[in-house]
Amino acid sequence: MTRGRWLCTAALILTGCGHRDRIVVGSKNFTESDLLGEIVAQQIERRTELPVERRFHLGGTFVCHQAITSGQIDLYVEYTGTAYTAVLKQAPVADRDSVYRTVARDYAQRFGLVWGKPFGFNNAFAITVRRRDAARHGLRRISDLARLAPGWKAGFGYEFLERADGFRGLASVYGLRFAAPPTAMDLGLTYRALAEGKVDVIAGNSTDGQIQALDLVVLEDDRHYFPPYEAAPVIRQATITRHSGVAVALAQLAGKISDAEMRRLNALADVEHRDIATIARDWLRATVP
Amino acid sequence: MSLWAFYARNSQEVLGLVGQHLYLVAISTGAAIVIGVPLGVLLTRRPRWRGPVLGVANVFQTVPSLALFGFLIPLPFIGGIGATTAIVALVLYALLPIIRNTYEGVAGVDPAVREAARGMGMTDRQLLTQVELPLGFGVILAGVRVATVVSVGTATIAAAIGAGGLGVYIFRGVAVVDDTLILAGALPAALMALGADALLGVAERRFAWRAP
Repeated sequence: MTRGRWLCTAALILTGCGHRDRIVVGSKNFTESDLLGEIVAQQIERRTELPVERRFHLGGTFVCHQAITSGQIDLYVEYTGTAYTAVLKQAPVADRDSVYRTVARDYAQRFGLVWGKPFGFNNAFAITVRRRDAARHGLRRISDLARLAPGWKAGFGYEFLERADGFRGLASVYGLRFAAPPTAMDLGLTYRALAEGKVDVIAGNSTDGQIQALDLVVLEDDRHYFPPYEAAPVIRQATITRHSGVAVALAQLAGKISDAEMRRLNALADVEHRDIATIARDWLRATVP
Repeated sequence: MSLWAFYARNSQEVLGLVGQHLYLVAISTGAAIVIGVPLGVLLTRRPRWRGPVLGVANVFQTVPSLALFGFLIPLPFIGGIGATTAIVALVLYALLPIIRNTYEGVAGVDPAVREAARGMGMTDRQLLTQVELPLGFGVILAGVRVATVVSVGTATIAAAIGAGGLGVYIFRGVAVVDDTLILAGALPAALMALGADALLGVAERRFAWRAP
């Protein structure tokens, strides 16, 4: 080890600021977020010399937001519609570009965070029913659901029930009146409850692997209630200033994942139980050589 | 919003959830006693079953609640979504301390006392109801106390399967990271656990004189 390296290391140990020399990637507590976090982490490792630390499966949007604004993590993958409604507390709108513009501008001004280019897919809330029910009742769009709702049972996760772009707005836009108030339950259990016939309609995510695996269908949001949820990396401005290579590495992922591709990757993890690191490595090798 | 303002505004809802919570704990602990005490007694008569039965009860304790719910949803009668599934899970979690303490309480009765009772011509049933259960009552009650206090805490997971209870506030609070909401659920649950512990503690001391 050279004298310079020695001094550097000593300085790092003394000041306890090892953080400057590594990139900390976070993710939210569901498969897709873990997958995208891993893809981003490996891409940074491949394209820069920086060590990457993973802080995955953090408890949801707000935990990630707190973590990144306080500097505990340098970046994570967020969805435009979620940032727009849940973080910036705006009323939901359907225009894709204006949501991205607003989010990018406000994040930069208020939090010192930069929105990278979206990966290319849109992971909207997906009002989901069993395929055989859809076939039997001619269900294709959410507006078709209004006439059936009085005899149906709904089960939703807590986030969907609480959020501004969640159930309350959906019910009023589409005039949905279920027989009983929707059952509030853990999001992961709603797919199981739907497949087992314990509820008739749930709100999943359009890129979830279980939709195909459990023979479910997503109803079309024909009144464009849900805002777009384009996934894109959110990075601390300070991190980009220090390590411009990170922004370059992330830019190479822009527009590379379609809806179908994301669904396929999620299914690899959730249905075929493949290891997330392997899925990410194979995908990166094939798509961004 | 402060916690007190929240309670003042939502008093009806809070009372409803506290009621649901108490209902879940009462029914599940009651069922666990009805199942666990006879099982514990049975183990004193069939010592060879002790390992397997306590082992199974032990395993239930280690299964994460969400996984347990996942397994229970497809089952008829005891499964599905709602209070039944939550109660089944809570019963499974409460069994171990009750079975174990019942066994220890009954098996721990002084052999000399048991001999004396036999010598007086007591039948098996009389020995159990007039000697072993009264003498072991304090230890059995201690098991019920542990099970109840733990149930008050674990009953918050009932909210994950649509069974309500104070966990609703905790889950909603976690979903939107609202500390007030989380506290609104956690605080009454904690008070309830302390109350149950104190109440059963008093009962335990009252019956302690019976134990050798």
